[in-house]
Amino acid sequence: MSVTAAEARTATETPPSLVRRNWKSAITPVVLVLLVVALLSFVRSQKLDTIEQNNLALPYIFQKTWEHVELTLAGTILVLIIALPLGVALTRKGARYASPVVLILANIGQAAPAVGIIVLFAVAYQIGFWTAVVALTVYGVLPSLRNTMVGIQQVDPALIDAGRGIGMSAGGVLAKVELPLAVPVILGGVRTTLVLMVGNAAIATFINGGGLGDIVVAGINNQRPLILITGSVMIAVLALLIDWLGGLLTQVFSPRGL
Amino acid sequence: MNLSEYIQSRQELLIFEFLQHASMIFQCLVVATILGVAIGIATYRNPTLASFATGTAGVIFTIPALALLGLLIVPLGLGVAPTVTALVLYGLLPIVRNTILGLQGVDRVLVDAASGIGMSRARILLRVELPMAWPVILAGIRVSTQLTMGIGAIAAYASGPGLGDQIFSGLSRIGGAGALQAVLSGIIGVVVLALIFDAVFVLIGRFTTSRGIRV
Amino acid sequence: MSDTSTHTGVPIELENVTKQYTSAGLAAVDDLTMSIPAGKIVVLLGPSGCGKTTTMRLINRLIEPTSGRIMIGDTDARAQEPNELRRGIGYVIQQAGLFPHMTVATNIAQVPQMRRCDKQRISTRVDELLELVGLDVAQFRGRYPRQLSGGQQQRVGVARALAADPSVLLMDEPFGALDPITRERLQDELLRLQEELGKTIVFVTHDIDEALRIGDKIAILNKGSKIAQYASPAEILANPASEYVEQFIGSGSAMRLLNFSKVADVELGQVAQVGPDDDVARIRETIDGADTPYALVVDGDRRPTGWVTSDGIEGRTGTADELATPIETTIPARATLQEAMEGLLSAENDVVPVTRGHGEYLGVVSLGTIQQELADLKERQKERRQHERVGAADGGDSA
Repeated sequence: MSVTAAEARTATETPPSLVRRNWKSAITPVVLVLLVVALLSFVRSQKLDTIEQNNLALPYIFQKTWEHVELTLAGTILVLIIALPLGVALTRKGARYASPVVLILANIGQAAPAVGIIVLFAVAYQIGFWTAVVALTVYGVLPSLRNTMVGIQQVDPALIDAGRGIGMSAGGVLAKVELPLAVPVILGGVRTTLVLMVGNAAIATFINGGGLGDIVVAGINNQRPLILITGSVMIAVLALLIDWLGGLLTQVFSPRGL
Repeated sequence: MNLSEYIQSRQELLIFEFLQHASMIFQCLVVATILGVAIGIATYRNPTLASFATGTAGVIFTIPALALLGLLIVPLGLGVAPTVTALVLYGLLPIVRNTILGLQGVDRVLVDAASGIGMSRARILLRVELPMAWPVILAGIRVSTQLTMGIGAIAAYASGPGLGDQIFSGLSRIGGAGALQAVLSGIIGVVVLALIFDAVFVLIGRFTTSRGIRV
Repeated sequence: MSDTSTHTGVPIELENVTKQYTSAGLAAVDDLTMSIPAGKIVVLLGPSGCGKTTTMRLINRLIEPTSGRIMIGDTDARAQEPNELRRGIGYVIQQAGLFPHMTVATNIAQVPQMRRCDKQRISTRVDELLELVGLDVAQFRGRYPRQLSGGQQQRVGVARALAADPSVLLMDEPFGALDPITRERLQDELLRLQEELGKTIVFVTHDIDEALRIGDKIAILNKGSKIAQYASPAEILANPASEYVEQFIGSGSAMRLLNFSKVADVELGQVAQVGPDDDVARIRETIDGADTPYALVVDGDRRPTGWVTSDGIEGRTGTADELATPIETTIPARATLQEAMEGLLSAENDVVPVTRGHGEYLGVVSLGTIQQELADLKERQKERRQHERVGAADGGDSA
């Protein structure tokens, strides 16, 4: 038609690819699972004394792993429930003055050591699983909150203008333009939160919250290197797996075309 | 007793642990910075090496503090050694990543111009690339500080130094007198320290960043 | 869709519109009254910060006026709910503003979706619009904005603006971010679209050449969106209302004016003509009787086919058709003088035939013709300057 020759040429070429390289990232979980298998086989092949047998029984390890996952998931879900709506609310026009205040508070909160927060809650209320979850939530809110706010704020203002200009309501622009475009950054924050959660869940052991931290502490208290290593490696592997999972989720839920 | 009484009665101990914590963080930071920047400088020009370096530091970073501490206790025993090693390893990622990003972010055109007027590679690095990457590197060091500050508190569990001692002693006295105050003083101590360090970094940034690129 | 030859646009009236941001200081738009005729392209032209974009955004209420009234068709803009109003107005901005996370098709479908049209109709409409803006439907429907060039993105932007078949189109420097070649191409596209659709278009730009090219009327604005001159391009070029306008046009207004005069308006020259079957004797007779040593071969449909010269037929035999050097360049009567000049410069001869709609011979034009036209222009400008000077000297009101 009236498309220039140059434009026509680019039109017939295949468009620049949108596919991200997925196959490489599949290596990580495979490697990790192999590592765990190797570790556990090695452990089982050793001659174990009573204490070690107690702490390294496979059912026990799996139970602890599951508790750890529970802690992580519960904390993360609570964080999402709090941080996402709050983050969105703080980017709205009305919250212009509230948002820096909240961010400063959150930053100060994050400077506090995780172990401190967890112990604080335990000492102030009671020990146990849910205290640990609440403490974890408090500590993990900041990355998700900050990333939600940053993610929404980094959306090109011209796009918001275009949205309003063609007649979208403010809510429509939020739902159809701002949020979808903020998703990658928000998910990055969720990913950081997840990793933080896994790490801090290990500390839950200090307040009887359960989790793989129990194994590590048992190893230190009883001076059994094997137990110590097993616990530590399990936590590390879990953290790396969840980090990989977070990366996968980010890729899957990020809108195409970005 | 309430918090202020607690603090007053244990003033010397708290101040000692405060300074101890600060000194621990500071030293680990220095080591992490030297190592991190060195690794960054060594790898930034090679994309494969660079992503390998960032990736490795990232893996270390993802391993939770307690786990890493546990793994280090085996060869290094309890006390200062595993703590310091863990902190240095943790501090590496933000510094390595930001050094690489910062150096890679320097406009190639400038490097080209510099070598065009006859500067040697080393000189270019020193006089052009590093100063321009400095704000980014400094931001990385700052993030490192914040991180290690918090993780340093766990060190007490491995019989390491610092304010973590307050927290754990509060834990061990749970339900008893002074437990809450101990934990609070530990937390507040770390927070105050973090704020002080952060303020120092802002000042350092102001004074060491050339006015031409100061944002 | 539509094959309307009548316009579908509505007129826009701006009555004493003011936009004041702070109580002190100058208004961004200062008491502007302006009438935008239906179905025309009106260009708001001015330097950065003069208020042209603000004025445009007052129309679709992205900015609310401090005072004054804006009538779109026969409705007050303020009577409608803002979002509803904007869905009935097409809006195109400089960077196209395409949502990067939506495909081309989804982008275009936004407004129809908001108006709850059914899926099938939306899909058909998307295809229609893609064709309308010159993009291959199969190829571009499913693409994402970042896979498109700047020009393609802007085409999609226009398609999106037209999706709900608005009667008014607002365009804010839409081609500003494109390279000159693409820009010109898209300007042509816009004119073609306008021929087909006849929308009322408000077009903001700071580029005088763009304004002259596409505007039916141009409003040259000063600070506070004050109108320095609001007239057709030819009028502005021929009679700039003030020094500000003159400065804005810059030098070269005379050359530009060549663009607005048609060849058909100029007095054409005439040459001797021969038929294609005339023999050498007849040709010689015709040439001897004329002022020039050549003649034009005109066929049965009155179309010029070639030139014969007295030298060319010397000592040869045959019909005019066989002996003539074929004509490669003709100039259509509706061409502008500028195009005529280009034709003349690239033609093989100094004289080029001018043809009408189907190619019938009207007359010839030469560089001399253009020269005469330029001389007339100069004359008229001199007169105007003189008139102004006299007016000023009288101390009374000047032109």
